[in-house]
Formats: sequence, structure tokens, C-alpha cells
Amino acid sequence: MQKEDFVKLCRTLSISQDHTLSAQVLPVVQKYRNNLPDYKLPVIWLETNDSGDNNIAFMNTTYPYLGQVLTDMIDLLYSNTFMAAQGKEALYKLDQAANRLSGKFTLVVEGAIPTGENGLYTMIARTENRNITALEAVLWLGPLAQNVIALGTCASFGGVSAARPNITGSVGISSILQREVINVSGCPVNPDWFVGTLAHLLMYGRPELDSLGRPTLFYGFTVHRHCQRRSYFDSGQFAEKLGDVECMFSLGCMGPRTGADCPYRQWINHVSWPVKANTPCIGCTNKDFPDGSSPFFTPLPEKSSPANNDGQPESPALKGAENVTEENNV
Amino acid sequence: MSQKRIMFSPVTRLSGLLSVEVVVDGSRVMEANAGGTMFRGFELIMRGRSINDAVYMTQRICGICSLAHGAVSSYLLDDLYDHQISENAQYLRNIMLAADILQNHIRHFYFFSLPDYVRMPAQPPFEGQELADARLSSQDNQRMVNNYFRSVVASQECHQMLALFGGKAPHQHSFVHGGVAVAPSADKIIQARALINNVRQFVKESLIVDTELLSKAYSDYYNIGRTPDRLLSFGMFRFGDKNQYPLWRSGVLEGGRLSSPQFMLISEEVSSSWYVRAGGQDLPDPHKQGAYTFIKSVQYRGQPFEMGPLARMLINGFYRGGTSTMDRIYARSLEAFLIAELLREWLQRLVPGPPPIRQKNNPVKERATAATDVMRGALLHSARVTEGQVAEYNIITPTAWNFSPKGSAGQRGPAESALAGAIIPGPGLLNTVLGRIIRAFDPCINCGTHVLRAKGSEES
Repeated sequence: MQKEDFVKLCRTLSISQDHTLSAQVLPVVQKYRNNLPDYKLPVIWLETNDSGDNNIAFMNTTYPYLGQVLTDMIDLLYSNTFMAAQGKEALYKLDQAANRLSGKFTLVVEGAIPTGENGLYTMIARTENRNITALEAVLWLGPLAQNVIALGTCASFGGVSAARPNITGSVGISSILQREVINVSGCPVNPDWFVGTLAHLLMYGRPELDSLGRPTLFYGFTVHRHCQRRSYFDSGQFAEKLGDVECMFSLGCMGPRTGADCPYRQWINHVSWPVKANTPCIGCTNKDFPDGSSPFFTPLPEKSSPANNDGQPESPALKGAENVTEENNV
Repeated sequence: MSQKRIMFSPVTRLSGLLSVEVVVDGSRVMEANAGGTMFRGFELIMRGRSINDAVYMTQRICGICSLAHGAVSSYLLDDLYDHQISENAQYLRNIMLAADILQNHIRHFYFFSLPDYVRMPAQPPFEGQELADARLSSQDNQRMVNNYFRSVVASQECHQMLALFGGKAPHQHSFVHGGVAVAPSADKIIQARALINNVRQFVKESLIVDTELLSKAYSDYYNIGRTPDRLLSFGMFRFGDKNQYPLWRSGVLEGGRLSSPQFMLISEEVSSSWYVRAGGQDLPDPHKQGAYTFIKSVQYRGQPFEMGPLARMLINGFYRGGTSTMDRIYARSLEAFLIAELLREWLQRLVPGPPPIRQKNNPVKERATAATDVMRGALLHSARVTEGQVAEYNIITPTAWNFSPKGSAGQRGPAESALAGAIIPGPGLLNTVLGRIIRAFDPCINCGTHVLRAKGSEES
């Protein structure tokens, strides 16, 4: 159906009270979808050094739910979490997908990459003869992928896996790959940020990224800017203890220095977020999480100054303005 | 007779990275070496941090059981500060923990276990499924495939229940030391009640029925994957103002005799693990000869012990059966059913009101150990604190018990015991049989492999 015909159809039927419009339009949309070549995004997903929280976060996606993502949006060709194949058959599937879809697949890496001891602190698999380290796997697959997504803060910036003293030498994947990486940080990621990024790649191409390689759509404003408790901050009313209703800057809130849309989006079918649960934001999307947020319950100006804070914009603390694009995505 | 060494890796459909090497002679598995292949070193990460950060930091050990670590570190801090926990806070805490456990059990059964027994659709992520002995009728098979996709919603609703009170999941925020920071308001309670009614219905009509169908079609698995009769639990769902009363009892069940567990009888060793012990510390050494895992051997009175839902159900007398693969699966589903019932009851007892939390400012002790059962079994956190800073932090996880490598006397850990002696009934069935035995333990390697003993750490 041509665009003009489609618009005409919508115009003609828009005044009817029954479901005639849906009945006419849905089959057309369905047909259009079915005819699209390569409609689903081929995905190879590596779990490396992390807690596995990002795959659990992914299971919590709603609208679309996990089943819809796996059926309609992506072809999940390798995933330690979900794939039915196991053992050598799983490795064969990985090899086959990487070769067959070289330059076409999206690589999702969940976890940091330990670089110490030649990467032996994390092996994605072993054979009778050799160890396949996370380091080797990402160096192999990274250059072959069309897109690379670092899922969660460990994969994006090292995160908790790289927290001091970091004896494994863990780093985010952009530190070992000479190519663009889309960082979808968070500990864990909000499923909307990840599924939204996949959807953007699928339908509109690469999303706009901020200076830390993250989609501005989700990370463009600070938590502080849109916080429900901002009026308390502006009038100088601060919480004295957990459970109080006032601004929790006094209890260590990282909102002023953290790019994320939690106040609007919220979590798990959008029902709540840490500040709504009377606890401070701990800045889990940040490049220097967790060391830059520690101690979690100490006010921002008094937090221990982390040595590994390089590259992080200086604290825009009370302005809440840095890190902000003026375009409204909300 | 020729023995063959085969590396079964990656063992997919679990949390974390696991490789299991087996020695096979003809159709018999002679030996098994279960290896966790990731190291994180949380005890070192914790050192020098504010002890108050322990709840949020240690949750990040694990994604599928995050609140387990949050709960145990909260209990530890309650002890250090000598907090009084209100009854309403305990109901709320147990509601949140129970919701996370239900999430875990549903996801384990459907996402991780089901493709071991049920023919999945020939599309990603199920391509390459090696299922040489699919036994279900096409009708039952289709029922379970449909329930795989329905479990997506049920398990999401468990985390929605947790997030209603905890702010997010995984890594919730409100269950901390001194109580729970969120107000159990009437609107949240009624939302949680609606959610648990949906989940309970799913558990009753899908999970339980599907477990029955599996256990009938694969009844030979009541004789496969047996472990020695040694089971342990620290008790689960804590009540009382000092977290002193577990609703489900603790116990050491050995050869039919039940006794109470004592922390001082727990020991760890590293003879088969990629660690070297020097100056009272275990430091990782991935080149260590003869070692095959980042998981350490954990023992009780010098012996490996199994833990998890099966141990809890047997110790509490809720289930009568053996210690096989199918007993493990059956007990987990039974536990999910019991927990769904408890959740409903607790949500009725929870009283709407202000945040049930009271935190004191200064710790009154320098050392504390907290232990309770969580999804996969008994979890123990132990800390020594100097002026509010962590001097030592030690963690012993259920997966470290269940996936213990061989001890210095050659004792196999529970999962290795279950694998050794298994018969592979036909060609092309090795991975299938191994996968079924291993996954029934619900391994979580993210949890299992960070264990690092800090200097001088002793449980008292």
C-alpha cells in the first residue's frame, strides 16, 4: 500500500465509532512488517565479568515483554542465559553466527573485561585444549559486529567489577576495542534503556550519543533536574534520615551528578525508583560508579575523592545543568 | 576400556560461567570437575569501605538473587548496630525476599530447566537444542512451551512486587539495616496483593502441573543425580526484633539425623581452586597446576553438604523423598507454591503505616556474622569493622557449597557427587544428562566465585 492510500484510508475511517479503522489498518501493518527484509536484529550476547543483573533486568522488560522481544525484535543467536544449545554445540552456534553474519550482527556485552593474567579471570568457555577468555572473545567479535552495545555499567566503564582495588584489571569494553561502542550503563540497566536502544537501532539506526557514548534519549538529563523532590532542594529542606520525605542530598544522593531518566521512567513496569522508596540515588549509571559514589550515604561534597575519576565531568553538583541537552525527550 | 576426558562448556542457561570436565568410560561418568570460570574478589572490594555500603555493594554480587545478599548484609548490620526491628518491618522484608525467591524459582524452572526436557520452537534462542530423548506428548510439550512464554509475565510480576516496595530490581534500595525505608501504604499493599494473586495462580496452575508432568515423564531422574545424604540449612524468613526466629527451621540433616548448625564447624579450603594461600589470605592464581575452578571447597565438619530448596523441604518435613535430580526440581516447585501462599498471608498482616525503620548512628560491635537461607541455600556474611570501616568481609554462598571442587581428601562437592557414576543411556545424550543433573542445583556462578578469605577471618 502506498503512503497516499494509507492516509486516505485513515481519513475515511477515522470518523466511524466501531473498530473499522483498526480492522483495516492492522492487517496492512502486519503485512508491511512481514515483508521487511532482515526485520529482526541479529544479536550475539556475551556474559563476561558481572553479576548477571543485566540479563535479569532484560527479563523484566514490559511493553514489549521478553517473549515479544525474542520473537519480534531480535534473533538471539548466542546467549549464555537463554540459548537451548549447550557445550560445544553452543560454541558452534557462536562461530557460525559470527561468520555468517559478519558485519551485520549486534554484539551485546554484559560485564567488564578483566585484562590481568591475559584475561584468565573470566573465561566464557573452555575446550579440552584451551581457554576462551572474555578478553579474547570481545577482541574477536568486536571488529566483526555492526553495532557494539556495552550493557550495564561494568561493560560500559568497568563498574563494580573494576571497583578498587581491581586486582583483575577489569575495564569497560570501549577500553579494549578501537571502534564505537554504545554504552547503555546502569547497575543494572533499566530494561527500557536497553530495549529502547535495540529498537532505535532496528527502526531508526544509531541513536544520538553523549560524551560518554550513551544514548542521550535516556541519559541526557540529570536525575536531579527532574527529581520529584527538587522543590525541597530548592527551598533548602533536607532529609535527616532514611524514610523522610525531603530532599536526600543530605543523605548522599548522587542525583545532581548522574545522567539518567529514573524520575520520569521509573523501574519494573514503571512503578518506583530509589528516591520514591525514600533512599538516595547512588549514581549507578556513572563512569566512576561505585567508587565515585562512596560512601553512599555521605553528602556529595564530602564523598571520598576517587583516584580513578578521570574523564568524568567535574561535579555540576548544584546546578544540575551539565550533561543536559536542551531538546525535550520526555 | 578407554577413558575419555570431555569438557562440557559452556554450560548455558544459568547465571554466570560454568565449565564441567567429565571423565567418561563407555557409558559411565567416572569423574566430574565442576569449574566456575569467573573471579570478582568482592571481599577485597569491600575492604576499607563504609560498612553501611555493604547492603548496596554486596547485592551487586548477584543479579538473580540480589536481595539475598542485601538481606543477609542487613541482618549483619542490624547485629553490629544492635537495632530493634519492628514486626511490620519483618513482614515487609520477608515479602520482598519472598518475591525475589519466587522470581528466581519461576525463571529457573522455565528459562533454564525447561529446554532440558521440552522440545522448544526451532527459532533463536532455541536453535541447536540437543534433545535426544524428548518424551512429552505433543500436547503436553505445547502446553509447556506456552507456559515458558507465560512465565515471562509471572516472573516479571514478582519483581514488580519487589520494586513497589524496594524502588527497583535487581538491587533494591529500601531493605536496609534498621528496617525498611519505604512506607507500606495501602495503595502499595493492594497492588502487591493483585500481583501475588496473578503469580499464585500461575504457580498453582502452570508451575505445579508442569512439574508433575515432568516428574512422571522423566521418573528415572528420581534415581539419577543422587548426592550423599548430607543436607544443611540456616533457616529462612527471619522474624523477631533481632532477626532471631526463622519461620522455616535450620538444620543439619545427615544420615536421617537432624541437628542444629554451628558456624564454627564451617571451613574452606583451596586445594582444587585457583587460589594460593599465603599469610592467611587466599589470592587468585589462574595458573595453579591441578586446580580447575574459582570456587573454593566449603565443608561442614570436614564434609561437603548440599543446600537449597530440597534441603529446606526435607529438613522442615514438607517433602519426603530422596536427593536426586527430580527431587531437586520437585522440591523447588513445591517451595514456590508454599512461598506464594505465605506472601498472600503476609500481605494481609502488613499494616499500612509510616516507613518501619530506625537506624542508630554508631555500631556497638566490631564483629558480626549473619546467615540465612535464600534462593539456593545458606548464605553467610561475616565482617570485622573498625570505626565504621570494613576491615574484613567474608562471604560464603550456597553455590560455593553445592559446586565445591574436590577437597584435600578427595571429597567431591554435591554437584560433582551427583554427576559421578551417572550412566549415559545412548549416543548423543551426554550433554543432555549432564545438563539436567547440573541445572537441577540452580547454579549461580556469579555468586560462587568471588569468595576470598581476608586475613585472619574466622567465624565465631
